[in-house]
Amino acid sequence: MELVAPEAEETALVARLRAGDEAAFAFLVDRYYGTMLRVARNHVASAEAAADVVQETFLAVIEGVERFEARSSLRTWMFRILVNRAKTRGEREGRTRPFSSLGSGVDEEERAVDPDRFLAEGRWAGFWSAPPPAANVPEAHALAAEVGSQLLKVIETLPPAQRAVLELRDVEGLSAPEVCEMLDISEANQRVLLHRARSKARTALERYLGDPGGDH
Amino acid sequence: MRQPVVRCVEFVESVTDWMEGALTDDERVALEEHLTICPHCTEYLAQLRLSSAVLRAADRTTREAPPPEARQALLEAFRRRR
Repeated sequence: MELVAPEAEETALVARLRAGDEAAFAFLVDRYYGTMLRVARNHVASAEAAADVVQETFLAVIEGVERFEARSSLRTWMFRILVNRAKTRGEREGRTRPFSSLGSGVDEEERAVDPDRFLAEGRWAGFWSAPPPAANVPEAHALAAEVGSQLLKVIETLPPAQRAVLELRDVEGLSAPEVCEMLDISEANQRVLLHRARSKARTALERYLGDPGGDH
Repeated sequence: MRQPVVRCVEFVESVTDWMEGALTDDERVALEEHLTICPHCTEYLAQLRLSSAVLRAADRTTREAPPPEARQALLEAFRRRR
């Protein structure tokens, strides 16, 4: 696991890219390809078109890294290239975007927690009947090694819009306004998608905390 | 006697709006009051935060790989250019 401060990491990365360090470029491709693909997919008509846009974006990064002035982060710069290209392509295609309504991402009936875990009747109706187990909450970095890959697997099973939002917010650490802009969604939509996705990630974590090392 | 305004079942559905700063002042106060009386929702919140922190710390090396041909084509383009 890399624990280098992101800014320092990034300055070094830009220098290595400019010096023609192929491993640095491979790192960038491996790290961002999947997320970029999902962001692009929101703007264009097909998975193939999204892959084309991602490919073009990395080519533009190769061409442009010499002129990159670090006024924004490398990541922000790359994603701006990506979104601009994806939007242009989408407009050319006369695209209706899949996340523009919440349809693909949110089921109105979807709950953060199984309703059976709350009391149904009596004075305490709506309070927990089966509360989350109180665990000695481990430190995130320590836990990440054990359960991180499992949570990333949970992400893969989410509806595309929820997955894109959770990846950008919690894996990449982008801000809500950045994510709204990238995915062209309203703040309210962003929050609903984030809520659904985080609720599911928490459920997976709870399962793990309740039964560490068990079969997940 | 005052009735509790926010119940657990509502807490778990509003907690993201609270974390995102999207509640009205009244709603925010009601939610925070609930937290002071409910250890289970406090635990729930801790787990929610922990899962975000785990995702943030969970590295990079565990994420999906790009398609090999696409990756190869990009690395070749990089080599030609540099």
